[in-house]
Order: sequence, then C-alpha cells, then structure tokens
Amino acid sequence: MSKTEQKTYWRSLEDLSRNDAYKEYISREFPEDAGELKDGYSRKNFLQIMGASVALAGLAACRKPVQKLLPYHEQPEEIVAGIPLQYASTIPVKDSGIGVLITANEGRPTKIEGNPDHPGSRGATGIFHQASILDLYDVDRSRSPRQNGEQRSWGDFVSFAQQHFGDSSRRVAFVSEASGSPTFNRMKAEALSRFPNAAWATWEAHGPQNVLSGTELAFGTKLRPHYRFDRADVVLSLDYDFMSLAPDTVRSNMDYADHRRVSQTSDSMSRLYAVETTLSVTGSNADHRLRIKASEMPAFIAALGAALSGSVSGLDAFSGISNDFSQHSWISVLAQELADNSGNSIVAAGEDHAPEVHAMVAAINAALGNAGSSVEYLETGFHDDSYNPNALAGIAEGIRNGDFDTLVIIGGNPVFNAPADLDFAGLIDSVETSIHLSSHIDETSRLTTWHVNRAHYLEYWGDATSYEGVASVVQPLIRPLFDGKSEAEFLYALINGESGEGYDIVRETWSDVITSEFNSRWNEVVHNGIHDGEGFPVRSVSIASGMAAAVSDYLANLLPSSSDDIELVVRADTKLFDGRYANNGWLQELPDPITKITWDNVAAMSPATAERLGVRARKFGETDYDLITIETGDASVTMPAWILPGHADNSITVSTGYGRTNIGKVADDIGHDTFVFRTTSNMQVHPAVSVSMAGRTYPIACTQNHNQMEDRPLVREATLEEYRANPTFAPDMVYVPGRQNGGNPPNLFNDQLFPSHQPQWGMAIDLNACTGCGVCTIACQSENNIPVIGKREVVRNREMHWIRIDRYYMGDQNDPQVVHQPIPCMHCEQAPCEMVCPVAATTHSDDGLNQMTYNQCIGTRYCSNNCPFKVRRFNFFNYAKNWLEIDEDPDIIQMAMNPDVSVRFRGVMEKCTYCVQRINRAKIATKNETGNSIKPADGTVKTACQQACPSQAITFGDISDDESIITQTKRNDRNYVMLEELNIRPRTSYLAKLRNPNSQLA
Amino acid sequence: MSSNSGYVKEAPLVKGNHTFSSITALVADIVEKPTPFWWYIAFGISNLLMGLLFLMLGYLIWEGTGVWGLNNTVAWGWAIINFVWWVGIGHAGTLISAVLFLFRQGWRTAINRFAEAMTIFAVMCAGIFPAVHVGRIWVIYWVFPLPNQMQMWPNFQSPLLWDVFAVSTYFTVSLLFWYVGLIPDLATLRDRVKSKLAAKLYGAFALGWTGGNRQWQNYEKAYMLLAGLATPLVLSVHTIVSFDFAVSIIPGWHTTIFPPYFVAGAIFSGFAMVMTLMIIARKIYGLQDIMTIDHIEKMNIIILVTGWMVGFAYIMEFFIAWYSGVEYEKFAFVNRATGPYAWAYWIMMSCNVIAPNFFWFRKMRRSITVSFILSIVVNIGMWFERFVITVTSLAQDFLPGSWAYYSPTWVDVLTYVGTFGLFFTNFLLFLRFLPMIAIAEVKMVMPQADPHYYDEDGNEPVKETEELNEPNTNS
Repeated sequence: MSKTEQKTYWRSLEDLSRNDAYKEYISREFPEDAGELKDGYSRKNFLQIMGASVALAGLAACRKPVQKLLPYHEQPEEIVAGIPLQYASTIPVKDSGIGVLITANEGRPTKIEGNPDHPGSRGATGIFHQASILDLYDVDRSRSPRQNGEQRSWGDFVSFAQQHFGDSSRRVAFVSEASGSPTFNRMKAEALSRFPNAAWATWEAHGPQNVLSGTELAFGTKLRPHYRFDRADVVLSLDYDFMSLAPDTVRSNMDYADHRRVSQTSDSMSRLYAVETTLSVTGSNADHRLRIKASEMPAFIAALGAALSGSVSGLDAFSGISNDFSQHSWISVLAQELADNSGNSIVAAGEDHAPEVHAMVAAINAALGNAGSSVEYLETGFHDDSYNPNALAGIAEGIRNGDFDTLVIIGGNPVFNAPADLDFAGLIDSVETSIHLSSHIDETSRLTTWHVNRAHYLEYWGDATSYEGVASVVQPLIRPLFDGKSEAEFLYALINGESGEGYDIVRETWSDVITSEFNSRWNEVVHNGIHDGEGFPVRSVSIASGMAAAVSDYLANLLPSSSDDIELVVRADTKLFDGRYANNGWLQELPDPITKITWDNVAAMSPATAERLGVRARKFGETDYDLITIETGDASVTMPAWILPGHADNSITVSTGYGRTNIGKVADDIGHDTFVFRTTSNMQVHPAVSVSMAGRTYPIACTQNHNQMEDRPLVREATLEEYRANPTFAPDMVYVPGRQNGGNPPNLFNDQLFPSHQPQWGMAIDLNACTGCGVCTIACQSENNIPVIGKREVVRNREMHWIRIDRYYMGDQNDPQVVHQPIPCMHCEQAPCEMVCPVAATTHSDDGLNQMTYNQCIGTRYCSNNCPFKVRRFNFFNYAKNWLEIDEDPDIIQMAMNPDVSVRFRGVMEKCTYCVQRINRAKIATKNETGNSIKPADGTVKTACQQACPSQAITFGDISDDESIITQTKRNDRNYVMLEELNIRPRTSYLAKLRNPNSQLA
Repeated sequence: MSSNSGYVKEAPLVKGNHTFSSITALVADIVEKPTPFWWYIAFGISNLLMGLLFLMLGYLIWEGTGVWGLNNTVAWGWAIINFVWWVGIGHAGTLISAVLFLFRQGWRTAINRFAEAMTIFAVMCAGIFPAVHVGRIWVIYWVFPLPNQMQMWPNFQSPLLWDVFAVSTYFTVSLLFWYVGLIPDLATLRDRVKSKLAAKLYGAFALGWTGGNRQWQNYEKAYMLLAGLATPLVLSVHTIVSFDFAVSIIPGWHTTIFPPYFVAGAIFSGFAMVMTLMIIARKIYGLQDIMTIDHIEKMNIIILVTGWMVGFAYIMEFFIAWYSGVEYEKFAFVNRATGPYAWAYWIMMSCNVIAPNFFWFRKMRRSITVSFILSIVVNIGMWFERFVITVTSLAQDFLPGSWAYYSPTWVDVLTYVGTFGLFFTNFLLFLRFLPMIAIAEVKMVMPQADPHYYDEDGNEPVKETEELNEPNTNS
C-alpha cells in the first residue's frame, strides 16, 4: 500500500490520454486492425496481422480519425433529423429494474429519463440511472472475447462452449450477479437442469442476501421487504440509507417526500428517526438522528424489541433482553412512537447488517402490524438458495475440494469484491476452466481462461422486474458498440452450444407471460415500458418458531466491541457503489452528498475520534489531508482520514469501489481499495482495528470548503410546530423595504421583467423535499454536455456543475443538523452579472432568462465575481476538448453529447440556462400547433434537474400564469428568495425546510 | 537673520551654485557620455525578466487562464492586483507634472520628467493585465465600440468598459504631456551630441525647436493646456479603476469610499515608487544638487499625508460596515482582519498605515536610507492592499458553500516578476537616451532665473551672495 500516497491521480484528462504506459497497454491489447479478424484466419495469418498492427500502433497517433457520414438512402420511418425520439426501456440494477425513457438523437441514446408509467420510477431517476448512459460510451469497455488474454471472436467462444459444455456432466460452479430478470432466471433454471452437477451462487458485494436470509429466519421464507413510505407516519432507519444506497431509492424517496409535502399549516408530515454510524443521506434528513457504532446496532435493536415486547404481542423472543441500550432515552421514545403507530410505521435496517439483524427487524415489523400495510413482504419467486450470504463461500469450498472443473462468472467482479479470505484469485487459478462475462477487462477477467465482453443494457434485449415485481422489457437503443453479449445470450450459448439472438430468447420467456395476442401485446409492453401485470404477491407473515433461538444465539455470540475500541465499517460508496461505476467520470466527479468529496474515498471519523488519533482538522483552503493506516488482522490500508461531523465516535467508515487498477482511464488509481478489509466473518464491521497516523498527507478534491452557514438566512428551516404558529417564518427572516406592500424595493435600473410577454420562467425548490442526493447535478451534466475536468482541477475549485448542492452543518459538530440546498442559476431579474459584462455576453431574454451567449463571451469573469450565488462556471482550460478527446476513439464519447446544447470552448463562461433548449423546443412546438402562442402548456417544459428529482423538490414553469403549478408553489407561505435584500430579484426561490421532531427527544 | 524680517527664506531648489550651463552639462552629459558598464548589466537583467514576462504570457495564452491560480469563486487574482498596483504607481508622474504645475510648485521640476517616464512605463505594465486576463484574448477588441454588421455594441454599463477608456486616455495624455515637455530638452541634446545620427534623431523629435520667444510662448500655453487636461485624468483613472470594485455588489467591493481612497492610495504608491527610483538615480548620476534632500523631504510629507488618507479609508470602511448593519459587510471586514487572509491584511496595515509614521520626524524624512526603505515598504503594502480588496472579498462572499481559498501558481508569480523586466527595460532606455531631468524647467526655478532679487515686499534686497553661493552640504 505504500505507493498509494504517490501521485495517484492524473492531472487532467488530457494528461491521461497521453499516458504512455496506458497507450502501450492499449496498443498491446487492442492492436489497430486486429478487430477486423474474421473467422477462418489461420494462426499464421493471425500472427502476421498482429505483428503488423503492433508496428502500426505507434503510428496511430499520426492518423487523422476517419469520420464516415452516411446519409439516409431512404428516410427511415419516424426519424426526423434533429428531432429526438424517446423509447421505453428498463435499467436492470441488481435484482430489480427501473423503467426509463431514453432519448435518442439520430439513433444514438443521449439522455435517460424516468418512465412515468413505471412504479419504480414514476418519471424520476437516481444518480446511477442518469450516469449509466455514460457507461455505454465508455471507451474502456472490453471489445471482444478473450482466451488466456488473447483476442477471440464470439464465434470462437461459441465453438469452445459447444465442445466444453457438450458434456452435461460437467461440474460447473456458477457465480452470478443478483438478477430479477425473468429471462435470466429462466436460463438459470435451464442451466441448472442441464448440468446436474452444477452449483450456483449469487454474489453481490452489497446485495439483498442478508435481508433475504433475515426474513427467512423470521418468517421461514425468503421474502423481500417493500417499505411503503407513502403509508408510514413513523420511520425508523437503522443504517438503512433509503435515500441513497438502498434498493428502490427512487420510489422510496418519492413516497417519503409525498408523505411529507406541506402546502398549508394543516398538512401533516411523517417522522423519520435515523440510527446510524456514519452520516448518511438519510440520516442527514432525519428529524432525529442517533449515532451509534455499527457493532452496537444488534444490541440497540434487541433493546428496542425488548421495550416493544411489553406493548405489542409477538415479540416474546426479545422479552427479558437487557443490555447497555435498555435504559437509553431513545428506546422508550421509539417504543412508544412505534406502538402508537403500529400498522403505519417502518423499521428498516441497512442491507449489509447480519441476517439476524434483519430477522429482528422483520419480527418487529410483523409484531407492530406493519407487515401487509406499511411494510409488504413480497415473494419474488427467484430468490432461491443461491441468494444465501454464504453461497459464495460454499462455491469456494467446493472449488478447493475439487468439486468443480469449470467456474462460470456471470457479471460481477469477485476477485475485486469477494471476501478477501476466499482468495478468489487463487480459486480461479485452481479450476481447470473459468469464464467471466464482464463489460471491462477487470481484476477477474484478467485471471479467467475466457473473458466474454458484456453488452450494456442499452445494447441488448432483456427484461427485468421492478422492485415490487412488475415486469418490463429491456429494449436496446443501439447495436452493441463493441459486439457485447447479454447474460441471457451468454447462458444460452453455454447451454445450447450455439449462438442465440437475445430478442428470441426474451420473447420465448414472455410467451409464458403473454398468453394471447402475443405480438400486439408484446409491442405494447415494449412501447409502454411496463407490463400491466400484477407485482409479486404480498405474503402474510408469522414469526417462525426457530427465530428466537437463532437471535439469542447471535446476540450471545456477538463479538464484543468495547466502547474504546475503534471499529471499522465497510460500506457501499454513494457514487461508485461496489466499484461497478468506477469508470464513470460523471459519478467520480459528483460530490459525495455528505462529504462533498470527488475522486476519492476516505476514512470517515468523528471529530472526537480524529482528535484521539491525532488527525488534524484542516483549515480553510488546505487541500492535503492526513493519511492513516488502518490494520485489521489480515489487511492494512493507508488512506486519507476525513473528519465527518455526526459520525459515531470510535468508529471509522470506509466506502468500497475505489482503488481499481488497469480498468480504464477514469477509474485507475483513484482512491483506495477497501474490499481487502472484508472477510466472511467481518463483512460489514471489524469490531476492533488498529489505526495509526501514516505521517504523510494526500490531496483531496472537495467541492465545499466551508461547512457552516455563519448564521446567514440561506437555508431557512423551522419545525412543523413553529411553522404552524408562524407560517411565514421564512420570508419574515429578512426585512426587505417595500415588500410589505407586495411590491419590490425601488430600483435604479429599468425593470427587466416584461409583464406583457408570456411566458415568464421561474423555479421553486422545496428544501423540505430535497434530500441532497445529487441526481439533479448528474441529470444536468448529461443534458447540458458538462465536461468532466479531473481531480486536479476540482482540487482547484473549478468544478463545472451547473447545479450544485450546498450542504451545511449546524449546531454541535459532534451531532450536527444537516441541510442541503441545491443551487442553480437564480436567473435574477436584476442580474448583477449582466450589468458588469463589458461585451454584453450575458443578457436578459424576453421570457425572463438570464442568458449566456457563449460566442460573445471574451472571458473577463467579471460576471462570476459579481454573482452573489457563485453559480457561474468558467472554462479555465479547454475542458470540453480534453474530455471529448480522451481517447483515440473520440467519436465514441462524443456520441453521448446532446446535439441541442453547444459544447463550450475554453475561455468562456457558462452556467445554468433553465434548460433553454427544452424551453425553445416546447415553444416551437406550441407555435406550430397553435399558430400564434409561444406559451407551452403548463408542465410541458421540465428542466433536466426537475425531471430527474425523485422527491420532486423542483418546480418550474410560467410565473406570469396565475394557474400554473409554479405560481401556486410560489404562493406557499414558506416561499422565500435567497439574498432578497440585495434587490436582484431571483427567479429561483426556495420553500423553507421543515422538520417534525418529537418533543420528547428535543 | 530672522530678527530683521520674520520671513523664513525658502531653501533654494537647486543647490551647488550651478550656472545654467553647468545644469545643462550635468543632465546632458549623462546621455552623451559612453554607456557605463553597470547599465549593460542592469539592462541585461531587465531584458531577461522581460523575456520571462513574454514567456509567461505566451504560456498563458497557449494553455488557458487555468495556468493561473484562479477558481470559480475567486475569478480575479494577481492579474487584477498587478493591474491596479501598476496603474496606481503610474499616478505620481502626471500628478507631479500636471497638478503640481498648476499649483505652481516649483520643486516639481527636479522630478517631473523622471516621474512621468515612470508613469508611462508603469501604465504599460498595467495595461498588459486586463488584456491577457480574459479567456479569449483573440477577441479582446470586442470591448471597443467598433461598428459591425451585428450592431453589437459593448455594454456601456460595465465598469470594465469604462476602464478601457479611462486607462487608454490616461496613457495617451500622459505620453503626450511627457513628449511636449521633452521638446526643448531634445533640442538641447540635438545641439550637443556629436553623433550625426543621434543629432538627426533628436532633431526629428525636437520638431525644429530653436528656443525663440514665440516658440516659448506657444509651448508654455500648450503645456498649461495639457496640464489642465491631465489633471482631471489623475483623479478619473483611479476613480474608474475603483469602480471595477465599487460598482459590484460583493461585500468589501461595494463601497462608496473607493474613488477617493483609491486615488489617495495611488498617489501614495506613486510617490513611493518615484522615491525609490530617484534615490538610486541621484546617487548613480550625481544629481544630488537637483534632486535635493529638500525634495525628498517634501515627497515624504506627501507620502505621510496620503498614507493617512489611506489609513483613514481603512478605518472608515470598518465603521461603515458596522454602521450599515449589513451582516455580509460586517463579516467581510472583520474577516479581513481575522480570517484566513489576515496575514495579508496585517502586512497591508503595517506597511501602509504604521510605517509612514516615521516621517513625522524631520530626521527620518531627511534620511536617505529611511526614505529608501520606506518607499519600498509602502509599495509592498499597496500591493497587499489590492490583494486584500480583490481576493478576500471574493474568497468569502455571500454563500459560505461556495467559499474557496485562492493561492497563486508559479505562472502568476513569474508574470508579475516579469513586468519589472518590462518596466526597467524601458526605464533604463529612458535614462540612457533621454534627459532624465527637465533641463529647461529646472533652469526656470533657479535663483539665476529671477535676477532681480526682490524680496516679497518688492524692495531691493540686501545682497546675500554668501548665502546664495553657499555650497551644498546636505547631500
């Protein structure tokens, strides 16, 4: 690990693309013209071409890229050049899918939006969904199958499969990702029946296995808990980060926000309690938050169960339990609240907690009568024994015993993310034949005998089920860029020894689902992006007899973590998850919702722990942070320490997914690999680790340097009670002369509002709904062609995001309250930026937009200086060029660009436009339809940020229209304008945040 | 002596019992004699630094503004600081030659040529920065109101545009003023130099000056008119430069005291720079009789006065910030003195407000060493004043979430260092090839120029030859 403090980040994307070592690697792996190899070439021919192409590789840099322009010989139906089309599809993520609409410009997908008809999306998306379009255009994706590191064709693989798997007595070990795809699960069943000696393990580093085992312990069957936040008045999250990392976050956020939406004083809100170790997105939004060590969580839940066992029946397993938490003030309050709200409360624990923890939580939910109402236990039908938490260990054991001759790994990356003590790399070596289907040549693919390149979900036919079980189809939008294959096609080849078309395989599955009028109904499903069938059946549950014993066993055998020990918690990363998104520049550069760190993972700890360890708090402007060495018995990692207010004391949280090597230009050498800490016995937490200062420092690119609001009325918040007592608390916080008469203060300049001109655009952001997740930032980046600039530039505070989210800590730094505030351009009517531009490059439009004319900008940056919100972004270098020409294949990443938005050159200023391209498209359409009006119908123009937001915090529309939603929203009592006293009259306003605290815990 | 008149006689402006011709020789010989060796060394070093400047500018234009330390929050840094600093220095020349001329301050003649040259070169250094700090220098001409088919005019509301006009006007008038003042002396050189080529060149620029009555009459009228024209410019340039900040809404910039405060600061730093250069030049070229210790004392008094004007402004800014009741304003100023850039603030305070107080003491005012050191200290302080204004206000403005710390890169630093190369290259050329003292004007303030020796009541004075001819002992 000693090399980690070296220059582990590249200075700029440009630099990176000139990295000689990487170039050499590329030329070795993908020689020019080698892709043209056809079947039937002899080995001699192959070597000739290899030789020639290696020689040519050196010249590649001199060659001008050949761009082919192919005009349509016949105009394809539906396509009008310049008019994007939307197609419905589904993004499969782990064992559920989310329905999306994909915008395609002339055949290339450019933007992902939620499918309003899909229950998992309802029009919104999460950061992973928004960013996944960039994965399609990832130039580092594997471009062909490989055998022992040498390039092969798909045909080669199929003939290998035919020969190898022709023998059905093969002892095959399958390791796959979790998947809710009906087709995949059909192929899985077929494979298992074709190879009777086979075994199957489902492996997700941060997956549903523990939850499923928990419900199995509690109820006797593997059931998927579906939390209905729309029905819950009290939510207790035990490390359950449903706003960021948990499955089904989009739906959860939406339901949760809907249940807390306040438009008048009589509205009610649900109440969220969060008990957690690190400060998560969910915890930062909680009404009450308690920080405890992760190793104390089981005891906390047991104490809660014990307290509840007095008032609700069915918790006999807990009666008599007494521990350190029994007398904790939270326990009695929570027990009271939950009992009072039985049937409409939720208790949920984070996925990585042990099965027994989930069993306790399930039992509590069942006893409270939540099961069937606010918590639905779904029987998915595909969560078989392969989903056991120890299934992978079972496979490993089998391989070690020589039970298997073939290892088939379908997706995933176990060499990187399997428990370290399984030594997966060693296992691969010890089986005769190993095959890995993956999108990149990753840690696992490099070791397996065969690698098959996997297609992106925008490239193949497939299907998926939503979290609650509604099936939908994965529709390809583009032919596979690199001839990748889907899991179904891959499995089909293994089973049948021949190549199958994904389309046919999926349709075969669906022929069981759609029993009549197949073709028309199928087209309907593909078109709508959702099948109108039922979801998974909701099971009524009763607590299984064995649960009490299992739980008490577990509690008795818990490794004690004395309060002085420093525990280590390994957690999924909010941006890279388990590393699967590591090569995605948008996600790497998205500031973490809490720490605001980009391009790195850190060891987060509380201020008290930092002091104990000697980690120094950084002053304003310092970018180098202390490195610490964390040692468990088996692993040691030196990584930067980060002081995180609100973290539990004597606990360190690290996130996974970083520290990749040789994966791709973006991911390589970014952050530190923390999967090395995970072992089968310590998957989530090491109760005691030793930590020492490494004595060196490391630069961190954090986009927010100051975390306190300095008592300024920027984010305004009150409790629900205070709001009811004084509904206009938010605008009242600042005295503005002239406002009391409903007017504006006097003004030296001509008003830039054109009341006679309709529409007049405005935006409102409901801080009560915003969770700070960051999807608006990614959606904006995707819509507006915002370049990725790399760590060095972010360290210099030059991030380019047009909408950022400011996060402030308030109160005690050990236990702070947290607020999030998205900040786009405010489109001030009296815009300070406009007055100071010497060349009039930023001006006001008739419909109230503060416009930036890139062509006219000479780059004095005076506008940015004079912007009180600092939302303007300057192209200090030629970021767009560096980003779009990151590789020898610039055409690929350029395909992700939105043709309606200019790509900005160096030296010009840019900023949020309220998605002017969308506004103008709607205006043109309206004009075409009506002949004279240019005022689109209310709600037809949605900005990218608004559209993506799962909690629907952003409202946008015509403020000159009395009936529009935005006007209604802005009439809310809580509506206020930041820095109103400057009389710049921003068009973007905020609705003040409300919290709903419990007076007993105040 | 005091007993018979009660009138304190002013010290003569030129010491050393010089005659007209010895004054001419003293100044003109510098140009006519062979180039001294030290000059080549100094010129070489200056040239290297100037080369560095062009290298840095080339690198900047090639790579982009990102080579500087700027960020999203602090979008103006050293470039703007250097611009304001050099423009400020460029104030002394025109002030000395125009304002003091109109106020009939005879002592200005010893330093006006020198100071005006400094002004022109300083404004040249300053002018580089607004041009190169933009993102797209190749379209910088868009700031000029050039007719075009798009009917796209610059935005006349923008102080940056006012800057373009203010600085270019100031430069033009200063250059003109300087040149007009040079004409009689160029003629003197034309008549004295031995080289034919030099005589031709000096002659061409002397515009056929013969020193006739008629010429002198026209010349003095023109000089007077130019002085009248230049005087408001002295005030306007730095007023408008201050508008770059004052017109904005950023706390710490948005201040009505800026125009007078900037002008005072400019005079402060300009005089300090003249002092620095003058003390070196009078020593090297033996001009102690013309640039006397009395001159130095007078300038030190101006430095003391303007230093206190600047100090008053610093204190007044604090008062107004408190008095306004605006929390952002209050924070901006308290933060300057106590925040992350407090070091810069206290350098500024000690250099600009504390250091000049030495000049309350006559002994200090008349000490060459103290004057020299303090003149440099003042210019360091004035650089930091611009740093404090520009950077601290931007770095921590309204929204704490976007606060960012600014620090320069090596390119910033070397560019600034490079401007000294440009300045001294020009200045050394000036010292070598042009009369650094306005010969004709100095002669006008010599006792010999007023042969009647009347006292202030118009009486024929007692001849005090001994006193007049008293050798200069103060240098």
